[in-house]
Amino acid sequence: MLRRLLARWAFPALPIGFAVVFVVLPLALTIAVSFWTRVGLVVRPAFTFTSYEAFFAGARLLVFERSFLASIEATVLGLLLAYPIAYFLAFKVSPRAARTVLLLFTVPFLVNYIIRAFAWTWLLGRTGLINTLLMASGLTNEPLDWLLYSDVAVLIGLVTSYMPFMIFPLWLSLSGIDRRLIQASWMLGAPPARTFLRVTLPLSLPGVFAASIFAFVGCFGESAIPVIMGGVGYQMMGNSIASAMDVLNYPLAAAISTVVLAAMMSLLLVWYLAFDARAFLGMILRPGK
Amino acid sequence: MPRRRSATWFVSWCGLIAVLFVIYLPLVPPILFSVTPAEPGGMLTLQWYLALWRDPVLVSAIGTSLEVGIVVAAAATILGLGAAMAIRSLRVPRFVLALMLLPLFVPGVSMGLATALFFRLAGFEVSFAKIAIVQTAWALPFATLIVVTAMSTFDPVYLEAAYVSGAGRWRAFVDVELPLIRSGISGAATFSLILSFNETIRTAVVQGPLNTVQTYIWSTYKQVGLSPALYALMSLLILLTVALVAAFVVGGARTSPAASGVNPRGR
Repeated sequence: MLRRLLARWAFPALPIGFAVVFVVLPLALTIAVSFWTRVGLVVRPAFTFTSYEAFFAGARLLVFERSFLASIEATVLGLLLAYPIAYFLAFKVSPRAARTVLLLFTVPFLVNYIIRAFAWTWLLGRTGLINTLLMASGLTNEPLDWLLYSDVAVLIGLVTSYMPFMIFPLWLSLSGIDRRLIQASWMLGAPPARTFLRVTLPLSLPGVFAASIFAFVGCFGESAIPVIMGGVGYQMMGNSIASAMDVLNYPLAAAISTVVLAAMMSLLLVWYLAFDARAFLGMILRPGK
Repeated sequence: MPRRRSATWFVSWCGLIAVLFVIYLPLVPPILFSVTPAEPGGMLTLQWYLALWRDPVLVSAIGTSLEVGIVVAAAATILGLGAAMAIRSLRVPRFVLALMLLPLFVPGVSMGLATALFFRLAGFEVSFAKIAIVQTAWALPFATLIVVTAMSTFDPVYLEAAYVSGAGRWRAFVDVELPLIRSGISGAATFSLILSFNETIRTAVVQGPLNTVQTYIWSTYKQVGLSPALYALMSLLILLTVALVAAFVVGGARTSPAASGVNPRGR
């Protein structure tokens, strides 16, 4: 009896146990440690807001604002690029072609983004490909300085890193839409633009939101792209966490991390409450339908 | 529905190809720099690739990366398979899926910090295991999604047929389901391996004394900056990633009915 029970439940329980112990528990621990206190190099359990005060009072608040703005910009830009692509793949090409293109989008995403950021610093640099092309074509007389080590560079880095992956949830929700709804709208005399705004777009919102959360939280906590492409001193939330860790101030690092986690969890909660996840994940959760 | 090959359709394709071009653009410069000779005007060279093997720190990092990669690929695939089964058989599929996908939404530094704190307070200091665990946690959401997607094309009625014919749970799984979701399993393993090879931030936070290729690149960059040898290393990683994806695509298309989207039951 026990053996059969084990055989049936042990295997599915394994990943759940793994995720609880190595993902949920550490994240909960981060939140706890953010209230702890640091005595010398030792971290002691306590309940104090010192780390949060240090974060919100100092120059790091600027980092918070900058991360917030840059993440919003990158998310909006990413959506503007990814949505038409996902729409095109879901409605205008054969499923086979769509799968091929989606696979093509995964390859650069899989290559380490730090390596890609290094490549961008050359492409955007004063003697890089883009400036060379611009000068050769006569569009500019001298290299554009603001392409690298600037907000623009960080934005390019963020969008090119996170946009490819935004296509998947968008494509998933768009291709899950019942075509009869769109046909009905069309037959009832709605022009294409109206059909899109009143039928397709609202039905794809779960995907839009999922893609946005993924991009926003990822950008918000980004640490490598600001260092490599933003230049000396350019910091986002992820760099703040890393620099607090470098000086072994774990409560401060945990507090900044908690701010990022809080942003993530509130966005996920809104998503969960506002949308029926089954409508979005139905294709994978209900096999054969 | 017949597809109209309109002008808009072609313009859309051109736009799509342009976006793909920009996304693939950063994969080229490292490869160019890795064959550029030290003095201008010389022939293309492979000397930087040879130089890689003379750095003992790097050679041991390559070994660690390979070992960790294999462990992560195996662990994430088995756990992903278990997660997919849990999603199918437990009463709370949304909850299990949300739990499995959670690491996707946590920034790398935050996840690294969380795991580092956890290991520190638990007094767990085995470098290899720490790296493998943090990378498995990162690969697991992807592995789960791939296996779940493959399983969704599998009709559970086959399992019932196996039970009716007298097969036990294990036998039904191994003989009936596993062959049909094989592309999902190999996909999960391939992607986990690729994700492991390309992970930096989480690993860098917990690593301890061992180095992987990626943490070697990151720390070398921070200490002495970029060099042709580093570009050679990056090129190898880019080529390896592309080769693994290609191997998966070729292998998957050849072996599996599920990969081509054909439901064995014939919808």
